[in-house]
Amino acid sequence: MSKSRSELGQILHGVSRDPLGLMGLIIVGTILFCAIFAAWIVPYDPVGMNIKDRLQGPSAAHLLGTDQLGRDTFSRVIMGGQVALKVALPAVFGAMAIGLTLGMIAGYGPKWLDNLLMLFFDTIRSFPTVMFALAVVALIGPSLQTVVFVVMATSIPTYGRVARTQTLTLRNSEFILAERAMGASMKRILGVHMLPNIIGVLAVLAAMDIPTVIALEAGLSFLGLGVKPPTPSWGALLKDGYSLIRQTPWLVVGGGLPIILATLGFTFLGESLRDVVDPKLRKQR
Amino acid sequence: MSDTLLEIDRLSVDYETARGDLKALRDISFDIRKGEIVGIVGESGCGKSTLISSILRLTAPNTRFRKGEVRFKGQDLLQLPEHKMRDLRGADISIVFQDPMQTHNPVLSIGQQMLDIQHRSQAGKVEKRARAAQMLGAVGIPDPEARLEQFPHEFSGGMRQRIAIAMALMSEPDLLIADEPTTALDATLEVQIIERLQELQQELDCAILFISHHLGVIAELCDRVVVMYTGAVVESGDVREIFHDPKHPYTRRLIDCDPGHIKERARVLPTIPGEVPDLANLPGGCIFRDRCDQAVPRCASEVPPLSKLKEGHHAACWLNHEEVHQ
Amino acid sequence: MTLLDVKDLQTSYGQVNVLAGVNFAVEAGETYALVGESGSGKTTVIRAIAGLAPAQGGSVKFDGKEIRGASEREMRPLRKDIAMMFQDPIGSLSPRLTIGSLITEPYRIQGMKDRDMQAEAKRLLEMVNLPAHFADRYPYQLSGGQARRVGVARALALEPKLILADEPTAGLDVSVQGELLNLLNDLRERLGLAMVIITHNLNVVRHVADRMGIMYLGRLVEEGSTEAIFDNPRHPYTRCLLSANPEPDPDARLERIALKGEPPSLLKRPSGCEFRERCPFAQDFCIQTPSWEVDNGHGLRCLAPLSQ
Repeated sequence: MSKSRSELGQILHGVSRDPLGLMGLIIVGTILFCAIFAAWIVPYDPVGMNIKDRLQGPSAAHLLGTDQLGRDTFSRVIMGGQVALKVALPAVFGAMAIGLTLGMIAGYGPKWLDNLLMLFFDTIRSFPTVMFALAVVALIGPSLQTVVFVVMATSIPTYGRVARTQTLTLRNSEFILAERAMGASMKRILGVHMLPNIIGVLAVLAAMDIPTVIALEAGLSFLGLGVKPPTPSWGALLKDGYSLIRQTPWLVVGGGLPIILATLGFTFLGESLRDVVDPKLRKQR
Repeated sequence: MSDTLLEIDRLSVDYETARGDLKALRDISFDIRKGEIVGIVGESGCGKSTLISSILRLTAPNTRFRKGEVRFKGQDLLQLPEHKMRDLRGADISIVFQDPMQTHNPVLSIGQQMLDIQHRSQAGKVEKRARAAQMLGAVGIPDPEARLEQFPHEFSGGMRQRIAIAMALMSEPDLLIADEPTTALDATLEVQIIERLQELQQELDCAILFISHHLGVIAELCDRVVVMYTGAVVESGDVREIFHDPKHPYTRRLIDCDPGHIKERARVLPTIPGEVPDLANLPGGCIFRDRCDQAVPRCASEVPPLSKLKEGHHAACWLNHEEVHQ
Repeated sequence: MTLLDVKDLQTSYGQVNVLAGVNFAVEAGETYALVGESGSGKTTVIRAIAGLAPAQGGSVKFDGKEIRGASEREMRPLRKDIAMMFQDPIGSLSPRLTIGSLITEPYRIQGMKDRDMQAEAKRLLEMVNLPAHFADRYPYQLSGGQARRVGVARALALEPKLILADEPTAGLDVSVQGELLNLLNDLRERLGLAMVIITHNLNVVRHVADRMGIMYLGRLVEEGSTEAIFDNPRHPYTRCLLSANPEPDPDARLERIALKGEPPSLLKRPSGCEFRERCPFAQDFCIQTPSWEVDNGHGLRCLAPLSQ
């Protein structure tokens, strides 16, 4: 156990030595902190209306002002972050887990199974994400779970294909041949020797994917197809801000800024992770 | 000494790293005369690669030239402006690399690549093509005209290395640097390449700096030999002197280690025990001391200088000095 | 006692016959060398023996048991007795495992979990002359020579009867090469194991191998005791290979036999004797196909052998 912890420590150390990586780490850390402790951070009830104080600018009482129903924008931004991560994290990690499993089976298993799985991946990929989302929403109605399902289903092929390519490359490498020559079981070869060499690449992919998912969720909410009001979501904030932009610009800022920040933060982190996780690059450090 | 082509004079090169300076080359001195083949022998980490990149000035960003000169036809290359240096590379000094599979651009035909490297020439396209075909023929590629159309992957490793040599010699350079050009090849092809190099060298009268760890190839091809150990020259001299009468214990042990040197079938092969010292943390005195079975107290305190034993034979070992003094 | 007996081994990938007839036998405790140019099929031979490459025809008997085409399950108990060493010293070590777990991997695979892995790791490292603290290192932190030793330690963990080693000295400096060969030889004597070594370094072969086989285009063209082959090569290709071996002596001028051209493609095997087009000694009748003849323990595939 201590070994894996030190490896994680090594990775964090590596990321924090890179200025962009450190920035990514700080942004992502802040977002995660705010999301986890949202209930304690928010100064007001994010869904509590107060018509008297509607459409206010920033002040000491309301850091980012209020919306058309007098709800505190800052509280809604913080809560919206929690919603965004509630969508993004399970969707991305679910897709990664399923994609990884299928991809490794495709890469290591018999040829016919590989062909079958590739056909499956390509079929899913041929649906445009947004159209697919619209169809699913129309079918089972808008909710947090719907968004998670749509995102997961559409990202599985990406992870699956990368995992398959990695598996195929590793499969012919000498260290895997060496394991086979020693009589290692398939379970052992895949689990002990291949998985640790694939998961790093996928983790990088996932980190880069999270902002896309956040943007997608925001987009669906903006269209009114994401999480249902009055649940605060960055996309819903943007939507309200968009229609009220002549009265107050602060709603757009409140909805847009966190999306931009989250995108930058996760992308920086992913870029930096990629350099650190690659053992060949690590050797040169 | 007007016939001296390249003169490495007390060259010291460091690499700046997080662990401190790696002393990659220390006080290297040797020269190459016109039309001569000089071999550099040494094991991994002896500084061969740093030496080549220093001569061509294609060094990594953390390279620091601490001392010394690299004089090519009397001109210090280390002081030359970059554009002058660029004119020199590929024209007066060419290089052939170790791995023939990675030397050529995979998406351009061999003919195209051979035209491209004649960019300095004023000749027309037809003339350039003819020259390219002629060079391919000279390195023994059959049917060169037709093969100009082919792409690198259509040639075997041995052929590709010959093409690399043809390209390097196209500008009729004064100096060809051959960096382990036969290491990646089979013995039969290795011999073909060496014989071809010998012929072309005589034809074009260019000097060759031939780097290899294969003593047999060095013995066969070279006129003079420079033996390097952890960034320093330990011995240099005429090829016969080096192989028949080595004056540095390292050279002697290295030759002994080559199984080709042992005529009788031996179950136990000679080795050089011990480890190569850390370049960032070199011990004082002679660098080979820890692995030397003839070390004397003086070896621990003073670095032996590379001193002349007789005309054309230098060695850096205190044992020779005692011999001289007695 | 014959430990390994390979007869007429055949391997093809699609239409390409990579191996088209390989015959040799290895006695217990003996070192056998396979030599030949790149692409001659040496690596495929040992991989086919170990069941890591397909083998469509012929026979491979290990300890009297037929193992060609054996399933993974049938092979598993034999994996203890046949160990392999691969060409790339660092690349054949699983990159995210420590050296300690790498060299004790054979015990885990064979289900000997009750062993004290740390003690075993220490013992194996000691056996290949590496310090015990190397157990905590990772493959990328090793030099080529050190990684080779780790490969040897791992191959020897289960005390096999046979080691199949693919270019065990490739990329090593001469001084280190000797150390590794001595180590292998010493262990071979102490543990009584047999070895099949692939190499293109003929100088190494002369010192370590008892018998040797020369491969050309996926076939053995000559096979016999190392001494006999070095003293009196019968096949022209063998003679060419031996003469293409530069000696570390500036005054040694071998009468070199030039080999014409390059090895032909496996896709277009020449008719008759496949070496004919490159052979400096070819005769008119070499358009016929030579068969594999064994005379007094010396195998040969040539219609115009060089005189004794």
